[in-house]
Amino acid sequence: MMNLSQLANDVGEVGAVCVRGGGTRWDVGGAAGDVQVVMAPTGIDSFDPAEMTVVVGAGTTLSELADALAARGQEVALDGPPGATIGGALMVGRSPLRRGRLGEVADVLLQADCVGADGQVFVAGGPTVKNVSGYDLCRLLVGSLGTLAVVGRVILRTRPMPEDSAWMSGEVPLKVVLQSVYRPATVLWDGRQTTVRVEGHGADVNNEVDLLGGLGLERVDQPVLPRERDRWSGFLPSGGVLEVGAGVVHQLERPSPPAVAAGVRVLGDRMREAFDPRRRFNPGRDPHRVAA
Amino acid sequence: MESAERCEPAVGVIRSGILPEVNSTKRVDQDWRSTVRKRIDGIGLGWIRGKTAVIGDPLERDLVEALGRERVVTGSGARSLYSRDGSVTRGGSAGIVCFPETTDDVAACVTVAVSHGRAFVARGAGTGLSGGAVPCDEPVMVVTTRMNSIYEVDLDRRIAWVGPGVVNLDLSRHLSGTGLHFAPDPSSQQACTIGGNVANNSGGPHCLLYGVTSAHVLAIEVVLPDGEVVLLGAEEGRSPGYDLRGAFVGGEGTLGIATRICVRLTEDPPEVATLLLDFDQIEGAADMVSAVIASGIVPAALEIMDKRVIEAVEPFVEAGYPLDAAAVLIVELDGLPDGVADAIERIKAIGLDHGARTVRVAKDDEERTRIWKGRKNAFGAIAVIKPDYYLNDTVIPRTRLAEVLMRIYEVVEERQLMVMNVFHAGDGNLHPLIVFDAREPGVMERVLEAGEEIVRISVEAGGVLSGEHGIGLEKKRFMHMQFSPADLEAQDQLRRAFDVRGLANPAKVLPTGASCGHVTNLERAPKGTWV
Amino acid sequence: MTTSNQQRKELSTLLGLDDEGLAACVQCGLCLPHCPTYRATGDERWSPRGRISLMRSVEWDNVVPDDEWHAAMDTCVQCLGCVTACPSGVPYEELINTTRSAIAVNRRLPLPLRVGLWLLGKPSLLRSGSRVLAVFQRLGLMRLMPTNLVGALPRRIPMKAPRRPPQLVDPAEVTLFTGCVMDVWQPEVHAAVEDVLTAIGVSVERSGDRVGCCGALHGHAGLDSEARRHAKRVVSTLSGEGPVLVDSAGCGAALKRFGDLLGTPEARAFSDRVADVHEWLAEDPRLASFEVSVAGATGHEAVIVQDPCHLRHAQGCHGAVREVLKRHVDLVELDDDGICCGAGGAYSLIQPKLAADAREKKVAAVARATSRSGATLVVSANPGCSMYLGAAGLKVRHPMEVLAQVFQSHRADSSKLGKAVAEGEVDFGG
Repeated sequence: MMNLSQLANDVGEVGAVCVRGGGTRWDVGGAAGDVQVVMAPTGIDSFDPAEMTVVVGAGTTLSELADALAARGQEVALDGPPGATIGGALMVGRSPLRRGRLGEVADVLLQADCVGADGQVFVAGGPTVKNVSGYDLCRLLVGSLGTLAVVGRVILRTRPMPEDSAWMSGEVPLKVVLQSVYRPATVLWDGRQTTVRVEGHGADVNNEVDLLGGLGLERVDQPVLPRERDRWSGFLPSGGVLEVGAGVVHQLERPSPPAVAAGVRVLGDRMREAFDPRRRFNPGRDPHRVAA
Repeated sequence: MESAERCEPAVGVIRSGILPEVNSTKRVDQDWRSTVRKRIDGIGLGWIRGKTAVIGDPLERDLVEALGRERVVTGSGARSLYSRDGSVTRGGSAGIVCFPETTDDVAACVTVAVSHGRAFVARGAGTGLSGGAVPCDEPVMVVTTRMNSIYEVDLDRRIAWVGPGVVNLDLSRHLSGTGLHFAPDPSSQQACTIGGNVANNSGGPHCLLYGVTSAHVLAIEVVLPDGEVVLLGAEEGRSPGYDLRGAFVGGEGTLGIATRICVRLTEDPPEVATLLLDFDQIEGAADMVSAVIASGIVPAALEIMDKRVIEAVEPFVEAGYPLDAAAVLIVELDGLPDGVADAIERIKAIGLDHGARTVRVAKDDEERTRIWKGRKNAFGAIAVIKPDYYLNDTVIPRTRLAEVLMRIYEVVEERQLMVMNVFHAGDGNLHPLIVFDAREPGVMERVLEAGEEIVRISVEAGGVLSGEHGIGLEKKRFMHMQFSPADLEAQDQLRRAFDVRGLANPAKVLPTGASCGHVTNLERAPKGTWV
Repeated sequence: MTTSNQQRKELSTLLGLDDEGLAACVQCGLCLPHCPTYRATGDERWSPRGRISLMRSVEWDNVVPDDEWHAAMDTCVQCLGCVTACPSGVPYEELINTTRSAIAVNRRLPLPLRVGLWLLGKPSLLRSGSRVLAVFQRLGLMRLMPTNLVGALPRRIPMKAPRRPPQLVDPAEVTLFTGCVMDVWQPEVHAAVEDVLTAIGVSVERSGDRVGCCGALHGHAGLDSEARRHAKRVVSTLSGEGPVLVDSAGCGAALKRFGDLLGTPEARAFSDRVADVHEWLAEDPRLASFEVSVAGATGHEAVIVQDPCHLRHAQGCHGAVREVLKRHVDLVELDDDGICCGAGGAYSLIQPKLAADAREKKVAAVARATSRSGATLVVSANPGCSMYLGAAGLKVRHPMEVLAQVFQSHRADSSKLGKAVAEGEVDFGG
């Protein structure tokens, strides 16, 4: 079993701290600032496909985890750039592109063993796939940019990989495509082209591919999306791609900071104050600045 | 909220006719009445208002001012009824019972309550099984059952905005024919409200594939414990800041009151197959569950019923459960036709490997309905065997189902009690049901002991205290089994951020802090008390 | 309220509820959505679970019933929707009946209700009174009447009941229980039943005025002795062996309970003879064989089936209505789990607001069924429901009227039936 005492030691009881994963999305929500950097443990503790859960150090890279899971036919609802870590993906809190099938990032974290601002280790959530024992700290931690606690070891929900999949794209109205496919993994729209990923049982995927082909869509490679993200506001900027149902626009421009309702900000600030009254964790970052 | 009229001397509380105005949603009339009342009081003619008007209790007076007389109830009958929910908990004590109809009404209830230093408790249909809505020390009861409008259904975006008082099954009924439904389907879905589902993060058989309530709630309008109204989450995607929506769901009413809820609607699957497998040994059924998951199939539902449940249910529903089986396993598969057909074959093979005697695939909707009817009526049929039952709810790793089940039979039978098992096997979510007759002397202590032992066994097996019923009052005392003081402190930090003064449904969930009046579980067994 | 504290205290010892029955409720709350008054108010006091809990408070905890308590008991429609929904088999019908009786001992019913119930036992007076109302209606004078009453009356009260020539078979194979108010206001339903029975070769006689009212409404109001008096008269007048068929779900439920109500062997034997007309027809082979020969002879009209509570929840034989109709009309189901329409015998007069709320929901359910299917005609096997829903503007017929019409249009269509009979194609079963 992975021990968090080293991490707790590193975090200590005083001084500003920031946890570093792969550093692939280091600028999300503000600059880390010149503070002490700690690293979460790495490595896979245990994985049992029959439980559909994996116990893993938050510092482990997504690709290492993906390889280990794929060997047993499973995967996890996290994605990120090459080199990204599990902890980083959870803290940035973006749902995977294939969210229609894999699920949301909010639902992936079952348990998190953390170090709090007082340097004490605490456990959020529980090890089982279903759990309503106490408050849902896990969902609070996802997307918190490391401002509430340093996450060291996590238990994640895994899912079986689909047998087959296909990306299809064509100049077909979005609504037509949506009505033709059952639970698509991803639907993208760039104002002209509708791109969809279908996945599942081989024969079902073939049928859907045929059906979509009949509508005028063609098989394509996974599309490369613009790097920046903004909230969907009903307006698609030039070069932008809407991730349908996710409320996200992938675009070239860096988005302006989102508007946050006063009440939500007050509550959010109170949350941060409750967990980290001395603002030790990631003082330069603020989840309220993340647009999407 | 203070005004001159509150200074008049208290003359005692006498209410007008007991029959509330049923269709009294005309706020205009109430405003008119209160205006006249104020004028009359203003010129010192308060006596004209006579016995209907003078309210001695300032809290009641302010609530009546805010909501109107008809929607503020103080009768001892109402207070006794609202002192409990569907759980075993006894000894709760409700204060004034309010029936708000809008977000503003709820905000007013909360504001008035806290301005008087009084706690408040939100309550839906009162079907909870852990005492989460049982009031401690006469809080203001905020009953959301009249907030039962389905405000908006957007079929294109697959979302719906509903009031917290909308009954779970009513929403899916409302959607029938649209090709969409609301996925969480707790066993009480015909009666429980969506507000209650949010508070408990409810599950149900089909959350194995589709996820629990949290995965289906996109945004929530919440009246916070200081009366402030905020919108948590967003109709689509994440909202800036922390996932306060995620934190709120499952908060058991201690973080505020949901007043409007935006839920995700799920596509009806094009193909559904329901399989019934029966076994000589319950271990075979339990092990098969893990094997199914390990094989890469995630069924929509995987439910086990043991021999005693089969014997109780079959005569009623005639679902065709073999009466000589030690257990039956219901497997539901859904999706596109080829995948479902393929999965049926694979399930059959796995079943035979694990000692299934027969595998029956429902031929049509009628047969499917009957198979499910037995599962859904299980608790009712059990009530016929013994007058009282105590239903537990824990989760264990599904690979340890067989071994933990055996331990549960042991610890219950050691105490000369009978336990029946009917549960969400796919999630490892156990629902051991101890049946007994409360009139038997000393039985309560044994039931309590066995219940505690079941929780202990589950946690020791790497499980958790509750999978869908919540902690409420019932399992507060077990929290230390699963959580360290530091873990509980972190949870308390979350709670405090929402509820600085600790007035939202106090004394629930966390074992630290306030105790709840004279509340006990299973404490006495006068004639007829059930647990 | 007219009870003094002293009387109330006595009431607390008088409920006399069965302990086991009272104990059977596990307070799970699954009854809530099936209760029309809870649906209307969202108020636990006006729910089955709440009422049981309030009964317990009086029976077990010596709580003195107050206005709030009485209001809870008074507002129950006694639709028994909760009984069907209850997974624990709580005998709610017994509980509320006993409670109502205990209340009635101590508290006089409102005068208009007493007068109304008394009238039910006076067929000739009832008939004359009804004719006066019919005249009022035709003269447009109904606005002078209490709105509660007007809202619950048939839209067109018959001036005179059509009479049939007496049947020649003596004794007739079956007796049709004609009751009180239905005989006056919906004589066409009895006539339709006679038509259907006769068409398939069943001889029928009417119970008529000498048998009169079943006393169901008296029982609902807690007037035990009145209910028993009516029951005794019905049992003794309708002696004999043949089936007693009932075309009013409310009366049928009451007649079937006479055995329990009176507790005598005669009453039990009588109750065993009672069947709802649909229930009896669905089991009788003559209907099926007759229908085979007429099938396809008529255009299939779709009807929306509304289950009266006393057929669905009290007698549990609502399936028979479908059995009987399904070969001739398309059946459209409501999506409301058979929740009460609010009529509830005299309920719509006593609790007009609560009743109207339930009716609004029923009308909405019918509208949904109409938008799904295009059907507009509603069938209901209870006079109270059909009058109350009819007063809200719905087109409501008794299932037997629909069936009789099918048979009649077939006859009118050609003389096929006569020919069929002559050629021996129709087996009338002797």
